[in-house]
Amino acid sequence: MTERNGSDPHESAIDPSVWRGMTQSRMSRRHLLASAGTGAGMLGMSAVLAACGVKGATSSGGPKPAGGVGTAAWWAKQKSTKTVNFANWPYYIDVVKGKHLSLERFTATTGITVNYTEPIGNNMPFYAKIRTSLSAKQSTGYDIIVMTNNSPAIGYLIQFGWLTPLDQSAMTNFNKNAGPLVKNPSWDPHNKYTMAWQSGWTAIGYNSAIIKNPGTSVDILFDKKYAGKVGMMNDPQELGSVGLLAIGVDPATSTESDWAKAAKKLNQQRSDGIVRAYYDQSYIDHLKNGDTVVTQAWSGDIFQADLNSKYRDLALLIPNEGGMFWTDNMCIPMYAQNPRDAMTLMDFYYQPDVEAVVEYYDDYICPVPAAKQALLSPTGWAAKALKELAPEIGLPTSKTAGAPTVFPTPAYVKNSRPYYLYKSQEELTAWNNLFLPITQGA
Amino acid sequence: MEQPVLADHAGGVTSRRPRARLTKVLAPYLLSLPAGLWLLALFLIPLVTMLSLSLQTCNLGTGACVMTWHWAEFGQQLSLYHGQFLNSFYYAGAAALIDLVISYPIAYWIAFYGGSKKNFFLLMLLVPFFVSFVIRTVVWNFILSDNGFILGSLKHAHLLPQGFHVLSTGYAVVAGLAYNYLPFTALPLYVAIERIDKTVLDAAYDLYATRRAAFARVILPLTVPGLFAAFLLTFIPALGDYVNQQVLGGTSNTMIGTVIQNAFQTLDYAAGSTLSAMLLGVALIGIFAYARVLGSRTIDEYL
Repeated sequence: MTERNGSDPHESAIDPSVWRGMTQSRMSRRHLLASAGTGAGMLGMSAVLAACGVKGATSSGGPKPAGGVGTAAWWAKQKSTKTVNFANWPYYIDVVKGKHLSLERFTATTGITVNYTEPIGNNMPFYAKIRTSLSAKQSTGYDIIVMTNNSPAIGYLIQFGWLTPLDQSAMTNFNKNAGPLVKNPSWDPHNKYTMAWQSGWTAIGYNSAIIKNPGTSVDILFDKKYAGKVGMMNDPQELGSVGLLAIGVDPATSTESDWAKAAKKLNQQRSDGIVRAYYDQSYIDHLKNGDTVVTQAWSGDIFQADLNSKYRDLALLIPNEGGMFWTDNMCIPMYAQNPRDAMTLMDFYYQPDVEAVVEYYDDYICPVPAAKQALLSPTGWAAKALKELAPEIGLPTSKTAGAPTVFPTPAYVKNSRPYYLYKSQEELTAWNNLFLPITQGA
Repeated sequence: MEQPVLADHAGGVTSRRPRARLTKVLAPYLLSLPAGLWLLALFLIPLVTMLSLSLQTCNLGTGACVMTWHWAEFGQQLSLYHGQFLNSFYYAGAAALIDLVISYPIAYWIAFYGGSKKNFFLLMLLVPFFVSFVIRTVVWNFILSDNGFILGSLKHAHLLPQGFHVLSTGYAVVAGLAYNYLPFTALPLYVAIERIDKTVLDAAYDLYATRRAAFARVILPLTVPGLFAAFLLTFIPALGDYVNQQVLGGTSNTMIGTVIQNAFQTLDYAAGSTLSAMLLGVALIGIFAYARVLGSRTIDEYL
């Protein structure tokens, strides 16, 4: 299962990647956060202070939503306020000359004004910031937030009753158009609380000029042949999951004794000198610079790197053991001021032509398979919007539509693995205590 | 010394005494009020909060913390991470020493030969600070990458073995620290050298001292407190640094700053606070030792 992201066969007169290189106005959002990640310690610090004045929810089971929030009767009473506050990650929505075409389309068709902000650079620090409001039963100021399912943050939000159950009757487009990977997902059965914004894989990136035959297994990360040239991620969830895949265990159904075995395997990998370093988002630079030849990688980063002719040798391998599949989920925090309009906006993005515009910019896994057709033969508003975006993107829409990492083939879908869902605080602590020390050896 | 004595003007003074005294008594407090409030709000409260958090037990999810006087946390963290503490000492110490060696000639030259351009040269020292600390460090990743401009060329010329690398080693971390904290050393050293009365050099030469002897027996001893201050001002921030190791380091040279950062990232505030408190304790010991050896007043003269 080694595919080159569909970028190879395209040989036009002028290499599209050259245009893209010259107009490098967009970056992979995760890559962009390389420096933000290192600065996050500061954020953590300020969060401490903030947390100190607040008592937090102390009951073990967490508070239950008051006043039947999220029930059909409650939703029936929610009226449109013609405004919605949307908090997302940076560089994660179509933008041309400072305008978000898809949001403008939303306002034009519904009359709802969107306050779109990009305050989320990292799940846990953002969660630490909003939980002070939530535990005080106050609005966070956001009606929609976007949280990744492989971070404990979203589990906490659900567990403590800090998310508003969605209005299942207002998900027409979602029910019609959502893809199998994001419909009824393991982390949120029946989409009670969340709808996907974008997804991606954590798989393996390698330099195909040096590694001619990467095989089909996650074992390549443990191959002594590449000792000192293997990059691993320092995020305990990512590291632990690949360790579990390597010992032949499906992370989602793993047990604590599996975790210990995986940690042993990863410790061995480190003491054998195979690992070059445990990286944050900067892993992609080290792969590009040749410091590593094979590394844990996010699918979108490899897709974007491949667009530049200089890095055409970088390839993505979704191993047979599986690629870890993560999703950034839109959800409505408790005490949101404009839940009705939030629902309207979330469902709006499940129209194929709207999602086509977002995907042309984003290049992660599209939650709406039908957007592929909309990208190939757009009509009406979408055709105009795609045309307006084109100079900014510098690529034909067919390239995005043809990428298996954007519109996964059935084989890719089959190889997608969900992350482990922590059932308790103790489990999370046990996990972190096993995998975090591996990344910070002395 | 013709200080007027109060008794000479008894009449006038007595009539105004209560008010004058009140103002006199309050003046220093009023004057220090802004600074005092600043310290209280932005230094003392966070510090006490951190120390208190280090003894609390927190729920990672809700962030609710309960004071449990969990002293055992200190022992646990120390047994888990003493290696990372030691790394921090080695690297910060090495970086501070390297910086002293590099900045002494710079500071000396500016102080003695800078002439009217002194301020310009000092500004030059600070220019790198106009670019974000993290970005400057990340750029070294590109300069020193395995196949980059420097190492790639040397390998191509067969001056270095193919497997040679600088990044992901302790050396890279020390180099990064030394690079980033150089001004913290150079500026206090400059102050120390600049304040030397230049006529003492003339006196040394008049007494037939060679240039070398004048430096070794006059200049150097006079700058010793400055050297200590410069060392501490570099060593202490470098001790808690978490950027250089993460950007330039590898698998076995983690510094304690990284561990603290990871603790806060996973929202384990108790562990992070405990480690921070220990680091703070160590830094304080350094400062007290300095005060003991060289007197408590000298350090703030260089700040």
